[in-house]
Amino acid sequence: MKIKVNFSNLKNHQNFLFIIRLIEEFLQKKGYLKIDLPVLSPSLIPESYLEVFETEFRYFDKREKLYLTPSPELFLKRLLVEGVGSCYYLGKSFRNSDPPSSLHSFEFTMLEFYKVKANYMDIANELLEMLRYLNEKVKSDFALKINLNKWEKISVVEAFEKYADIFEKELFDHQLFLQKARKKGYQVEKFSYEEVWSQIYVSEIEPHLGKNGYPTLIYDYPKEFAALAKLNPDGKTAQRFEFYINGIELGDCYTELADWKEQEERFLKEDKQRKKLGKINHPIDKGFIQALKYGLPPCAGIAIGVERLAMVFLGFDSIDKLKVIDIIL
Amino acid sequence: MKINAGNLKKGDFILYQNEIWQVQKAEFYAPGKGAALMKTKIWNVKTGKNIDITFKSGEEVEIVEVESRLMVFLYKDNENLYFMDEKTFNQYSVPLTAVSGLEKYLKEGEKLYVYIFNDVPLSVRPPLSVRLKVVKAEEAVKGDTVSSAKKPVTLETGAVIMAPLFIKEGDIVIVNPETGEYTGREGK
Repeated sequence: MKIKVNFSNLKNHQNFLFIIRLIEEFLQKKGYLKIDLPVLSPSLIPESYLEVFETEFRYFDKREKLYLTPSPELFLKRLLVEGVGSCYYLGKSFRNSDPPSSLHSFEFTMLEFYKVKANYMDIANELLEMLRYLNEKVKSDFALKINLNKWEKISVVEAFEKYADIFEKELFDHQLFLQKARKKGYQVEKFSYEEVWSQIYVSEIEPHLGKNGYPTLIYDYPKEFAALAKLNPDGKTAQRFEFYINGIELGDCYTELADWKEQEERFLKEDKQRKKLGKINHPIDKGFIQALKYGLPPCAGIAIGVERLAMVFLGFDSIDKLKVIDIIL
Repeated sequence: MKINAGNLKKGDFILYQNEIWQVQKAEFYAPGKGAALMKTKIWNVKTGKNIDITFKSGEEVEIVEVESRLMVFLYKDNENLYFMDEKTFNQYSVPLTAVSGLEKYLKEGEKLYVYIFNDVPLSVRPPLSVRLKVVKAEEAVKGDTVSSAKKPVTLETGAVIMAPLFIKEGDIVIVNPETGEYTGREGK
């Protein structure tokens, strides 16, 4: 890897920082409390679809593993349990094994905000207001050519039917789903439902999202993708949405799961999956489960990749354009 | 040879649905749910068609060993471009359908890389740029000082491209043969 100086991006970089300032201005006006957090932690939330960075604390003979946080969730939820109220973190997060590309960087700026006494659709309203705020304040020659007066809302079930010709019955039944995928020409042998599902989602659904003149909100993912989201009463889907502009995924929102038992089960499952995939074996954050036992207030939260968001608002096709110093392969 | 799609890179040739394609773009993509993926843009060497395909990064893809051989471009007719291997003096023909417009910017006698598989020519590797003489250019209209303004000019191969107003007959221009875009003028 190399250090690359892109000094000609200085103006873009300043515009990126301006967008960060606008985001913070908006959130603070709305009553969200800013929190700064560590990026090194001795334990993490186990998530099978991502890899982490491992490092070590040393003091004479003492050795202790530390991990760069892939998201601030484990800290913010502890504070929510303490009663901090609606709050946000805007800072660095780290995801290993993501080679740098136009939409990815292993080190990136994440905005994560939580609203108490709210569900995912309340966040959707707040978010749309934030997008409008950014669009009004960013100089007009950058302004998005997209109408921010409303969301184009589509459920995952509707999207699979509309864009991939996969019906509700097939979507939730693993066997039927894989059969249908094979018929469509996908390789399914040796692959799980989750793997094939995300391949079809990225190939056939994503390219249509956020392209109909409005930002798209796609919601209610199958429970296999619930992560830390609360399930819907149907038991098949989770209260999770993602939002898109111009085919690019910009954020991921959940109504937060408060049931510690269910969360612990999901953690154990994810941890097992991580081990099976040969991923870095980090300790599970047991304190997180402990905190949930005290009681997480009803809340919803969203994580947004700030470089991506800024890239879309500034009209670039790659997050590289925002960086004056870049680490490249 | 089979490799994991996660290791695909630009320039690789793959067998996909029984046809040979060249990878134009390969980007790793972790959607935050399910598996990591490899988003690719692939180019059909026979038809010149581009398509987007997303592979699971752990999915096996068949790599095809395609050779690229330097050859002299001889001439073209309505169906093919004709090349000669200077070492063996063997002649090869590449169908026009495989080069998607590239032929408009090729000069006879030029050396180019031809993609060969099992001694069958598939296509031509587009050069990054070509240098061509302007044979016809209208005088720029006086008073038109818009710096971004362009005019059509005719090149020695017969192709017409849009070039800046200061380009004159006899100038050598640099063109991207894949897009037909003017990228510069050769210094005198």
